[in-house]
Amino acid sequence: MIEKKINRRTALRNFLFIAGGSLILPACFRESGKASIALSNITVSEKDEELLAALVETLIPATDTPGGRELLLHLFVLKMVDDCHNPDEQRAFSEGLSSFAGWSVRELGGDYADADQERRLALLSRVEESGNGAIKQFMGITKRRTIQGYMNSQYVMTNLVKYELIPGRYNGYAAAT
Amino acid sequence: MANIAVDSVKERTFDAIVIGSGASGGWAAKEFTEKGMKTLVLERGRDVAHVKDYPTTNLYPYELEHRGETTYKDKQANPIANRCYAYKEDTAHFFVKDDEHPYIQETDFDWIRGYQVGGKTLLWARQTQRWSEYDFEGPARDGFAVDWPIRYRDIAPWYSHVERFVGIAGNRDGLTTLPDGEFLPAYPLNAAEDHFRQAVAKHYSGRHVISARCAHLSKPQPIHIQQGRVQCQNRTLCQRGCPFGGYFSSNASTIPWAQKTGNLTLRPFSVAHSILYDKEIGKATGVRVVDTRTKETIDFFAKVIFVNASTLNTNLILLNSVSDRFPNGLGNDNGLLGKYIAFHNYTARISAEYDGLLQYKTDGRNPAGGGYIPNFRNVQRQETGFLRGWAAAFGASRHEQRNTEGAGVALKEDLLKPTLSNWRIHSHMMAETIPKESNRVWLDTDKKDAWGVPLLHIAVEYDDSDWERRQDYYDQMREMYETAGFTNIRTSDDNRRPGNDIHEMGGVRMGHDPKTSLLNKWNQLHHCKNVYVTDGACMTSTATQNPTLTYMALTARAVDHAMQELKKGNL
Repeated sequence: MIEKKINRRTALRNFLFIAGGSLILPACFRESGKASIALSNITVSEKDEELLAALVETLIPATDTPGGRELLLHLFVLKMVDDCHNPDEQRAFSEGLSSFAGWSVRELGGDYADADQERRLALLSRVEESGNGAIKQFMGITKRRTIQGYMNSQYVMTNLVKYELIPGRYNGYAAAT
Repeated sequence: MANIAVDSVKERTFDAIVIGSGASGGWAAKEFTEKGMKTLVLERGRDVAHVKDYPTTNLYPYELEHRGETTYKDKQANPIANRCYAYKEDTAHFFVKDDEHPYIQETDFDWIRGYQVGGKTLLWARQTQRWSEYDFEGPARDGFAVDWPIRYRDIAPWYSHVERFVGIAGNRDGLTTLPDGEFLPAYPLNAAEDHFRQAVAKHYSGRHVISARCAHLSKPQPIHIQQGRVQCQNRTLCQRGCPFGGYFSSNASTIPWAQKTGNLTLRPFSVAHSILYDKEIGKATGVRVVDTRTKETIDFFAKVIFVNASTLNTNLILLNSVSDRFPNGLGNDNGLLGKYIAFHNYTARISAEYDGLLQYKTDGRNPAGGGYIPNFRNVQRQETGFLRGWAAAFGASRHEQRNTEGAGVALKEDLLKPTLSNWRIHSHMMAETIPKESNRVWLDTDKKDAWGVPLLHIAVEYDDSDWERRQDYYDQMREMYETAGFTNIRTSDDNRRPGNDIHEMGGVRMGHDPKTSLLNKWNQLHHCKNVYVTDGACMTSTATQNPTLTYMALTARAVDHAMQELKKGNL
């Protein structure tokens, strides 16, 4: 049976374990207005983080299995952008994030995070029309890293698309059913 | 690590000293200690104990902070290491970082190194093919380098000796270009690879597609169980170190074996500075070591010294072993030490698709990687405008394809419902290169590393014949792909630098004549007989095979020779 929910505490603990222990502060301890993970190269506010959480949840929403927010994919995106992308991409990500925030307020008449899934999805489908290169690049990075984080999450790898650490076999003529 | 007292010469004296603990050094250690020789193995890096020091070996992808990617900061700090295909977040701790041991690139050269007990045996691609008679005859027939002082029959029994202990998976294919060995069952070709094998066999005589031969325990034998190794579990996470000992590494195999004899002293953190020479007795007496933790210089002594520091470091140590008798480096009367460095040209790839046999897919993982095409060019006679030839790795796989276009529930569903692609066909070239005097290494006269050893200059380049061989690879492989009904055939230059193949060889080449070579047919320095070089530095030519198996066989053969010479009182 598929475990339908993992609670946020478990997810956080897993992320803590993965990230080496020092990165995450529970929201109640965090310095007001800052992102919840330590970042060295990009500056992200609490509000930016909330927008990103809404975006990963829009891309991969909770259904009968956890969605992007619960799997902390927004934090994964931030971690990867902060550590693995070059300064140009980091700049584009930050600019795009900020531009996307402004663009979405103009288009939606309020914060992206406050809109319902239907309106959020509709806006994402119009990113190309935004005519803003930074937004496009930001969305490209965010989507790629969200998908990567999802497919490589413990939840997916243990419940949905199982990763075998020790296959113990090779068959070059397996039936492709 | 044994606590080594260094306060008396006696305690610093061994029967044999082996510099390096990689594939060939590990074999020297095993052979010597089994024969009762008190053996000191010097390793410049740290100890890596089997299983215990494989920190990432059992991590799931989600337990890696960056899911296997190296960081931007790491890429900036270590461009050389990052260009190696095996350098990733889960393996980076087994690679030398760029600033750890600098060298001077006269020409672009990626020197990929693993400084730890086990050396690069933790990281190697584990492909193991014997050389053939044609390969040993090559230089003499074609008039390049110098004649190899040995032939296939000289090394064949030693290939067998090594293969039985290492464990090589392969088929007895009956090819004169790639002699059969002592094999464990091969990893079979998959449906599309097998189709290619049949198509090539049908259309060409003398061209063969075989299961890649590799140092994996497909079916362990008692000798492997005695080493504490068990069957390969098809993880293909080899470069993290294998807790099963499923593939051969010094760490899983030769080093613990040597330790069990009670005759091994393993000394990590020991940079070999130079080999000590006594002109009165006309022999080397020992090795000068710099302890990397204390920076202390310590001399160790032995009757016989094996230099297995990896090709370029072996060159470096010999060049730095200067004395009144050998002002230009140990054994270097002819001035050829450090010259005729060669490598393998890996700069070509060809891919395609196959839309047949879609009723099949693969299940599990193949540690051998797929198929291998032994060299078929210029084998019996010269038939092209270029000398020698190329071998090719070949494989087919079906990828899980996911539609990532959408967003929301549709995207989520698409991600979890992959479809299988057609067979994706891939190959890369492994071409012979011709050793040239201009491809060489030498010591800087001023600049030294952190241990007071001169920095190495490296000037190793491709030549025009490398591009002719590459064009032939493209042309022939394209034709063979077309013959098999593959479509969407694409060639791609892989502009990797020399060195990135990690098959650097030569500089201390073997030969008959002391005027034109450094080593004799037993891997002894012509002019200092108790020093043997049996790593890649000894290679006279490169052939097309992955070279490690040959280094190990030459090492076992040389130890046997050294033991006989010691008994006769000749060393």
